[in-house]
Amino acid sequence: MAMKRRAGTILALLTTSALLATGCSGGEEESSNDGELFTKPVTLTWWHNASQDGPGKAYWEKVAKDFSALHPTVTIEIEAIETNQLQRTRLPAALLTSDPPDIFQAWGGGEIREQVEAGYLKDITDQVQAEVASIGKAAEIWAVNGRQYGLPYRMGIEGIWYNKDLFAKAGITSPPTTFDELNEAVAKLKAINVIPIALGAGDKWPAAHWWYNFALRACSVDTLRKASTEAVFDDPCFVKAGQDLKAFIDTQPFQPNFIATPGQNDPTSANGLLANGKAAMELMGDWNRGTLDTVAEDKEALSKFIGWFPVPAITGSAGDPKAALGGGDGFACAKNAPPECVEFLKYIVSPEVQKGYAETGTGLPVVKEAASGVADPALKAILEATADATYIQLWLDTAFGSTVGNAMNDAIVSIFAGNGKPEDVVEAMKAAARK
Amino acid sequence: MAATAVVSSPSRRRRPVSWGNPLTYALAFVVAAVSIAPVVYVIIGGFRTTPQIVADPAALPDPWVWDNYRRVLTESDFWRQAFNSLVIALGTTLGVVVLGVCAAYVLARYTFRGREGLYTFFTLGLLFPAGAAILPLYLMLRDLNLTNSYFAVILPQIAFALPLTIVILRPFLAAIPRELEDAASIDGTGRLGFLWLIVLPLSRPALVTVGILSFVTSWNAFLLPLLVLGDVNLHTLPLGVQNFSSQYTSDTAGILAFTSLAMLPALLFFTLAEKQIVGGLQGAVKG
Amino acid sequence: MTATDSIRYPAGGAEAPPAGSRPARGRRASRRAENRRKWYEIIGLTTPAIAIYVMFVLVPMGFAVYYSLFRWRGVGPPTDFVGFDNYVVAFQDPIFLDALRNNAIIVVGSLVIQGPIALAVALLLNRPFRGRTVFRLLVFVPYVLAEVTVGIMWKLLLTDGGTVDALLRAVGLGSLVRAWLADLDIVIWTLLAVLTWKYVGFAIILLLAGLANVPQELNEAAAIDGASWWQIQRHITLPLLGPTIRIWMFLSMIGSLQVFDVIWVTSVASVRSLGASATMATYMVDNGFFARLWGYGNAVAVILFVISFVAALLFQRFLLRRDIEGAITRRVN
Repeated sequence: MAMKRRAGTILALLTTSALLATGCSGGEEESSNDGELFTKPVTLTWWHNASQDGPGKAYWEKVAKDFSALHPTVTIEIEAIETNQLQRTRLPAALLTSDPPDIFQAWGGGEIREQVEAGYLKDITDQVQAEVASIGKAAEIWAVNGRQYGLPYRMGIEGIWYNKDLFAKAGITSPPTTFDELNEAVAKLKAINVIPIALGAGDKWPAAHWWYNFALRACSVDTLRKASTEAVFDDPCFVKAGQDLKAFIDTQPFQPNFIATPGQNDPTSANGLLANGKAAMELMGDWNRGTLDTVAEDKEALSKFIGWFPVPAITGSAGDPKAALGGGDGFACAKNAPPECVEFLKYIVSPEVQKGYAETGTGLPVVKEAASGVADPALKAILEATADATYIQLWLDTAFGSTVGNAMNDAIVSIFAGNGKPEDVVEAMKAAARK
Repeated sequence: MAATAVVSSPSRRRRPVSWGNPLTYALAFVVAAVSIAPVVYVIIGGFRTTPQIVADPAALPDPWVWDNYRRVLTESDFWRQAFNSLVIALGTTLGVVVLGVCAAYVLARYTFRGREGLYTFFTLGLLFPAGAAILPLYLMLRDLNLTNSYFAVILPQIAFALPLTIVILRPFLAAIPRELEDAASIDGTGRLGFLWLIVLPLSRPALVTVGILSFVTSWNAFLLPLLVLGDVNLHTLPLGVQNFSSQYTSDTAGILAFTSLAMLPALLFFTLAEKQIVGGLQGAVKG
Repeated sequence: MTATDSIRYPAGGAEAPPAGSRPARGRRASRRAENRRKWYEIIGLTTPAIAIYVMFVLVPMGFAVYYSLFRWRGVGPPTDFVGFDNYVVAFQDPIFLDALRNNAIIVVGSLVIQGPIALAVALLLNRPFRGRTVFRLLVFVPYVLAEVTVGIMWKLLLTDGGTVDALLRAVGLGSLVRAWLADLDIVIWTLLAVLTWKYVGFAIILLLAGLANVPQELNEAAAIDGASWWQIQRHITLPLLGPTIRIWMFLSMIGSLQVFDVIWVTSVASVRSLGASATMATYMVDNGFFARLWGYGNAVAVILFVISFVAALLFQRFLLRRDIEGAITRRVN
């Protein structure tokens, strides 16, 4: 008996080590498919960020299925991962290994620049010329040094979402076009006891976007370009942005304790305040239409009172009043992905697929032919303003890359908390650029 | 029944348990209330509707609604996540107990050069923050092609649970009287036979204790599964709670219901095992 | 059995080599065979544990040390060697120093607040009275709940105008209402309260296990001699609980240094980044993952480990000595 049992123990040990051994040698090689397109069977792994059940996620599943139906040699495996997790951990870690996903979410700007410099991405310039032409300027965000490495499927500028009913009640006749008018509106809204502007500083970036807009108004387009590509932040306009922001915060336009208010989580979030008629305005991107819906108690009322106007101009400032901040989502192919990946990418931005995407209401399409898919009046207003903008500056944190972007956002939040100085933002950005 | 001494044994031996004085009860009630009031609130909150909660966060359900719980149980991923949590927790527990008892047995009952060094080597693990090396760990799991499998969570969890397990088990195993081993040896039973036939049955309370501790730790684990289980189909309950609460953001009542249901298994499990835990920690072996 | 023996002495500690080497019998050859066999057993039984421990605990930690010497943002392999710069930067960052201070608050606060509460509750629940088992169970509930669950629960309860505020107003304490999670001066104390609520049960479990080892006969003898309940606790129970208390202090201290989940879920990103609620572990994840400073994040991880290690050594040196084994599990023979 004892013998048998010992044999059992040893067997168990062997199995364990065998397990470890197979684990160690388990890295599989991605066979690169150099031959003709759609001849050999390939599997594309696709990582996107529509992780929540809803029209967005369902739509990508349909797109993948349709593509496989068109090209039976291609199987697409989808992994839907929450944005932060995807961008900050899963994707960077996966790109470091020998087996990254083939096609994945790409945010453009500083991020894609770093990825290109590390040699992660496939140069698709020659294959996607037609698509780039139809997308227009927005495609530049996914290009580095004139070469195209990814394509956007969603793009929009940010502006102020507002409650038309509350504006009428406060006696504000037309949406503010300058900051002076905005300040007046804030005063009028306070008089009728509503929160003038909802702010989700808890998530940091919603607060930081106010600074971005002040910077956009204070800095010339050249200065902003230089900051993005060369990480030079010496221009005094960046300090000016902080000073303007501080002056604006001092007028107390936000709800109490805004520093810990989440951006778009629950009914008490900044989103919830606007969606449920407690606050009159919120600075947000084009995706806000969808997120407002999820937190609204009365969706019908929301769709009646919600409106949108561009971020007001500052009279006498250096910035272009017609410039806007914006951003989008795109996809890129890994360097060693099979060529079918590029075909799939092109399929995603084809007018037909883009139109279907627009109809999901989760964001604005990038190709003009798909504009008819946009039904909501507020979203239509954004689409027009986007077409109207003379210059679209990518969100500064994305443009500057995660490291500088994060330090910048932290320093801005510090101004909101009342213990940071306008100069600190620039200092923090410079320090982070060295980290 | 040598190894069944548990915490209640002293009272069993003495006079029948009496009613305590009112002060004792008053204090005990206060302590218990503070401990479970928030939990009860969450469970009861699950029986309200979100508008009810928004209107008055501190009121009782009126009327009671079962819909939130029904929705969570039928329309969410609750069952799949509970299943994943169970598989991972059982796998971890099994691994920890088997590997832990083998190592602790050697450390407790073999004399050899380097034994104390080996013991210190394991206890060092108590000082490693589980999250500290999470990034290199992730890269390694990914290179081993282990991410998106149960093993990605089970294997590191076993590794991180081993130090405490060994620290608890070693003195327990060492305390088994030497005479028993000598007697076994005279009967022709080797050390491995002794481990199987005598040590394991005798140390059941300690094994149950380390088993429960690793089970609960695994059941509650968050950071590791969050990073290595990208596939939603493999998500565990804590991830489910987090996902649900950020996905159905406006559905406060639903979140409360989901949270309640997610804590129930751990609570039930612990209720059944509470005596064992205290008994095992006490580590009493009546010779 | 004698009480002192069973309390003070762990079996199989370093001074008392446990059984295992049996008296030599038979000829030298058989002894050698026996010896070889013993080594096979040792190696066979410990290898799986050692392998998995080394592979999933030590190797990643080793990599963390290696990565911490690089300026590395997670793009491409680490190439930009900077030596100990990351460590210097950390200690110059006011937010990291805030995190250190918060950890210190949590370590000390946990010991000072949880200790007396746990002791009082454990003594209370160690008294024989009907229904005791139920009360014990209820008291352990918070400890069993997942950190994420606890975090989300308290976040819901503590939001502005949430349940806690409503309750305070209902009982006429409306003036005490604060922005529990938003006020930068208050949030760390709010979190300390949540942590206390969550973890005091663990201290109680340990202490109850320790109390169960205090021989009832001693108490009874003292009671017969006319000692009051308080006197018995003060002069008999407490001194005998020493090792258990010290082991709890040790585990609590290490846990407080490494605390992550509850803080991460309960406190908001902005408040953490301002330093008001950051701990070393949340700072590490915020920087290492979210700002993508992988080299830097790993340096913070190493600092966290070194601080835990030094704290553990000091504790061991001055308080714990050989209790580590004895207090958790103790022989009664």
